[in-house]
Amino acid sequence: MKPPNFKYYAARSVEQALGLLAEHGDGARVIAGGQSLVQDMNARRVAPRVLIDVNSIGELDFVRPEDGTFVIGALTRTATVERDGDVTGRLPVLAEAAARVGHVAVRNRGTVGGNVAHADPAGNLAPVALALDAVLVARGPDGGRDIAVADFFVGPHRTSLDPTELLTEVRLPAPPPGAGSTFLEISRRGRGWGLAGVAAVVALGDDGTVSEARLALSGVGPTAVRARDAEAAVRGERASEETWRAAAEAAAAALEDPPSDIHASADFRRHLAGVLVRRALGVAAARAEGRS
Amino acid sequence: MMQEDYLTVRLTVNGVAHRLGVEPRRLLVDALREDLGLTGTNVGCNQGVCGSCTVLVDGRSVRSCLMFAAQADGAEITTVEGLARDGEMHPLQAAFWEKGALQCGFCTPGFLMTGVELLRRNPEPGEGEIRDALAGNTCRCTGYEHIVEAVQQAARENSGEPIDTEGPPEVDIAAEVVRGEGS
Amino acid sequence: METQERRWVGKNLKRREDPALLTGKAQYTDDVSLPGMLHAAVLRSPHAHARIRSIDTSKAKELPGVYAVLTGEEATGYVGPVPCFAAEPVEERAIAVDKVRYAGEAVVAVAADSRYIAEDALELVEVEWEPLPPVGDMERAMEPDAPLVHENLDSNVVYDHTFVFGDVEGDFASADRVIRRRLRWPRATAAPMETSGAVCRYDAARGRMDVWSNTNMLNFVAWVISGTLQMPPHMVDFHPMYTGGSFGSKHVLGKQIAIAGALSKATGRPVKYMEDRADNLMANDSQAPDRIYDAELAVSEEGEFLSLRLHTIDDYGAYFMFAITGNTNMMAQITGPYTIPSCETGIKAVLTNKNQQTVFRGAGSDVGNWVIERLVDAASDELGIDGAELRRKNFIQPEQFPYKIPTGNVYDSGNYEAVLDLALEHADLDRWREEQAKARAEGRYIGMGLATAQQRSTYFSTEFWFHNPAPATGLTTSPESVRIGVGPTGGITVTMFSPFWGNSPETVVSQLVAEEFGVDPEEVSVAYDSTMHALPSAGPGGSRMTVMLSGAVRGAATKVRRKMVEISAHLLEANPDDLELRDGRVWVKGQPDEARSLSIADIGMKAYWHKLELPEGMEGGLEGSFTYDHPYASMPSDDRTDLGAFYPIMGHACHIPVVEVDIETGQVKFLEYVAVHDVGTVMNPRSLQGQIRGGIAQGIGIALYEEVRYGEDGQNLTASLDDYLVPGAPDVPNVEVHHHETPSPFTEYGVKGGGEGGRMVAPPAVTRAVEDALSPFGIKIDEMPMTMEKISTWVRGARG
Repeated sequence: MKPPNFKYYAARSVEQALGLLAEHGDGARVIAGGQSLVQDMNARRVAPRVLIDVNSIGELDFVRPEDGTFVIGALTRTATVERDGDVTGRLPVLAEAAARVGHVAVRNRGTVGGNVAHADPAGNLAPVALALDAVLVARGPDGGRDIAVADFFVGPHRTSLDPTELLTEVRLPAPPPGAGSTFLEISRRGRGWGLAGVAAVVALGDDGTVSEARLALSGVGPTAVRARDAEAAVRGERASEETWRAAAEAAAAALEDPPSDIHASADFRRHLAGVLVRRALGVAAARAEGRS
Repeated sequence: MMQEDYLTVRLTVNGVAHRLGVEPRRLLVDALREDLGLTGTNVGCNQGVCGSCTVLVDGRSVRSCLMFAAQADGAEITTVEGLARDGEMHPLQAAFWEKGALQCGFCTPGFLMTGVELLRRNPEPGEGEIRDALAGNTCRCTGYEHIVEAVQQAARENSGEPIDTEGPPEVDIAAEVVRGEGS
Repeated sequence: METQERRWVGKNLKRREDPALLTGKAQYTDDVSLPGMLHAAVLRSPHAHARIRSIDTSKAKELPGVYAVLTGEEATGYVGPVPCFAAEPVEERAIAVDKVRYAGEAVVAVAADSRYIAEDALELVEVEWEPLPPVGDMERAMEPDAPLVHENLDSNVVYDHTFVFGDVEGDFASADRVIRRRLRWPRATAAPMETSGAVCRYDAARGRMDVWSNTNMLNFVAWVISGTLQMPPHMVDFHPMYTGGSFGSKHVLGKQIAIAGALSKATGRPVKYMEDRADNLMANDSQAPDRIYDAELAVSEEGEFLSLRLHTIDDYGAYFMFAITGNTNMMAQITGPYTIPSCETGIKAVLTNKNQQTVFRGAGSDVGNWVIERLVDAASDELGIDGAELRRKNFIQPEQFPYKIPTGNVYDSGNYEAVLDLALEHADLDRWREEQAKARAEGRYIGMGLATAQQRSTYFSTEFWFHNPAPATGLTTSPESVRIGVGPTGGITVTMFSPFWGNSPETVVSQLVAEEFGVDPEEVSVAYDSTMHALPSAGPGGSRMTVMLSGAVRGAATKVRRKMVEISAHLLEANPDDLELRDGRVWVKGQPDEARSLSIADIGMKAYWHKLELPEGMEGGLEGSFTYDHPYASMPSDDRTDLGAFYPIMGHACHIPVVEVDIETGQVKFLEYVAVHDVGTVMNPRSLQGQIRGGIAQGIGIALYEEVRYGEDGQNLTASLDDYLVPGAPDVPNVEVHHHETPSPFTEYGVKGGGEGGRMVAPPAVTRAVEDALSPFGIKIDEMPMTMEKISTWVRGARG
């Protein structure tokens, strides 16, 4: 399982990377952490003619809390996000999701941008992005553009990025102060690919009802999905087990096409989605209460 | 037919600088094992799953079967061969030996590199943290328990706590082993 | 000469294999690099069952860096069929000829400058296929109109026989109750961290072949593999390699060696073929029992076990290299630790379009343990008798050993009650029952499992052929040899002829030699030797090495010590009967004066350089070798109602795991695990504990995670370690291991083998623990792995 040949370029800047992408067209792929791409290349599932290595573009490796939004450079390693003090303090849903990506060595190389752009239906960061209404910033030959996350994930391993574009930033609006959040994942073993995962954010009003809820799921559809029916089921309701159960049912029922494979059937993934939503709402709400 | 060039890659491996000429597709694990003769790092799957190929690149643990040698240009790499110094084992290697933390040894270099990184970052890890950190390294022989004990031993040593005396933990045979009446 | 008190046997020595392994210095097969060596890759069939219409390798051959491309047909010019130990006419080629019989079977092999280029070449090979309907379900494969995996056979059922031992009918008739279960043991695979492979160097000028491979039975079946290589066996040298785990998957490796060998002959260069993980999971021939059991246990109302009836269908895959060894093995301990007077076992071996079986750690006796413990648990539930007490009631008692079980095998010694009591003492089930009740009130589900089961060791080779009716007979040797030499400065070297595969042979032999000669184990030099220089040795497998090395060292050491005494008697002018070897010197008994003693070095130097001072007629030098064979074995009867003693060195264990099951997700978490093992005299406790814990991890693996899966079309769905899931560090609990020693009366030092026991006893214990956790829902468990989805589905089904 050795990879096929390719021509290799190490880009030193975004401009250089974009130039190479434009020049080499369809046959070119960007390589960042490579944790997914090199796996595919070793198995000869993909055979890009050109690899554009963006690991040296230092300007894309940053975590910047800006005024209520976390701006994360696409080249930021997952391990960095996992441990960044601002992230763990103010955006635990992201830190927890990052901490569950693969294993240590995968997180050391894998990047936030790579994870998001690879758009694995079971990837952990996509539901966080969906739950927070993230904005993905891309740059292309014609300049930059902002892509709302709702328009970003198109299908399994497909995003709305153009082949000549490079994802440069992920902008995550932070939840309101006092909100609680969590990322939960269920895997077959203690660690490993999640069968399903959920990102949950809950804000409570003074009267103990849910003033805001965000829920997004991974592993249960062709892309990560925002569980809007479940959110609607809890908004304005009292924070309680019953409320969470209703949300869980709504979330499970709304799933159109959960994947089925040797690890879990569609039916079981649907069931897990419900379990995860219920448990995550409980954790997030408890954290919200804890704060206020 | 082939569009690729040979690339010159500069790597420092276990403190020794090298210049290698490699195809872009040459995986770091193969450059280390075959081009530099450092066969201590093993290929368990070449699928990026088992962790046997783990090395340290600029101090971070990396699956060397998921990295092209070209991507390590300019990096400082540590393999298992770089752990012992002047004929003396690294404390983690010594702890593995004392605790019987290896049987076939094939996964062991990968575990050592992951363990070295863990202890640098977290000098006093709890058992759960150790197991979690080691989750990306697969062992088929030991059942992991002695490996966890070895990491704990090395952590204690680092922190200056008293450690076990030479040799694996003594099993109190007299008390534990109930000899049968025989036949 | 008297023996000493044990100084080294039983001690926790650090392993001498470890320093090289820890520092990356050990040489595994893939570390071999020879001048001019080429690398091989193999093109594998995408079809589970198909005829090969044509293969065009012309473009592949033209690729720069490619030296040879061989189809199966072309390979027949260099190598023959791979070794097969079955009597049934099932022929296998390393590279398929005419037809492929499982997805992943090799169809073309390439040798090139690098593995990278070899794989490039594979992409240029064009194969024209005629797909055939695959057969993957074993019951379907048995039907008369099923597609035939081998067209030279009448049926896919390659073995169908029922053995009856004792008065099964009568015993069932007298039973108050028959406990019945239909049980399903899943198809697993060994998946050691190192894959299988070989480097072959053919030397046409000398008519010689050298093989570096992680094959195990070097000095037992190398001559058969030489046959595959179409070389005279004494012209082939197999070099023992460090092996990164085997668990039974690397016994022969005729296929991997044949691929490398054929390419070496074709190119005139050394060729390395190492499986990658996809090769290994698809085509390593190390899949394992895949069985449906109809199982019955006849019991009295008081809980006495009266008879056992087991009928199984076993899916062997597309080839049959070890015949039904996985089923005959089980007959060594089919009635467990219990005094069951009769048993019947019906075995149907079926071929399907899958990769074939080997003997994976437990070799079928792991299945037997699970089957009988499931029946015992069912009996416990149906009769309302506590599981531990039911087992205790039926245990063979210490005074009954050596005990002959209905199949004819003998159990050498044991004390099963003592093991059970030690386990119960440490597990504190009363406290766990309280916890369990509390947890249930809170909607949490804790369960306790208990299994008492056998772990046979040290096979005798009749188990490979006694399933064939007389007059068929076969090998009756299962040897292990060592050579011990004392050099001119007294340095002792012990040479072994079987390789290291993750066990501790170097540590064991140095301990044994140290014990024999009164020296420090670290002073003993340990070596391995290749087949051209070797003595018969079957190698690790069936947990035999500690027993066999103990016997081999004792035999060789006895010869060397005798000569040392003769020389000493001559030099000291003493009577040989008055001499003793103690602390590395030969003394005259009762004379503590060192001047009247000789060191081993003194004796060695005399033997080496002072011929004229030796007794008249004595050869110079000081060495001895010994080929030990099975210490207690007997032939099967012609009518096969008595299979003879073929696995009498019988260990035993009791496991008590405690789990908590998340009934919503189906996840299983371990709260505690107590294991008590009795494998006779323990050679090195820490090393044994490592094997027990590792075996338990594999047992947990098959209980919860591991299964080889094939799709409807025969595609292998678990060809990656992301899909064939083995437990990781967060998944295996700390295991509290305790030792009990009931020495064997038949072996040196009373040792028994213990390498397989963890995997052999964990599955039924873990199954019962999960079943106990789910008992409020009335769920009975008949299958493994108990995946999250299954558990969650069972619970939701029970709740309606």
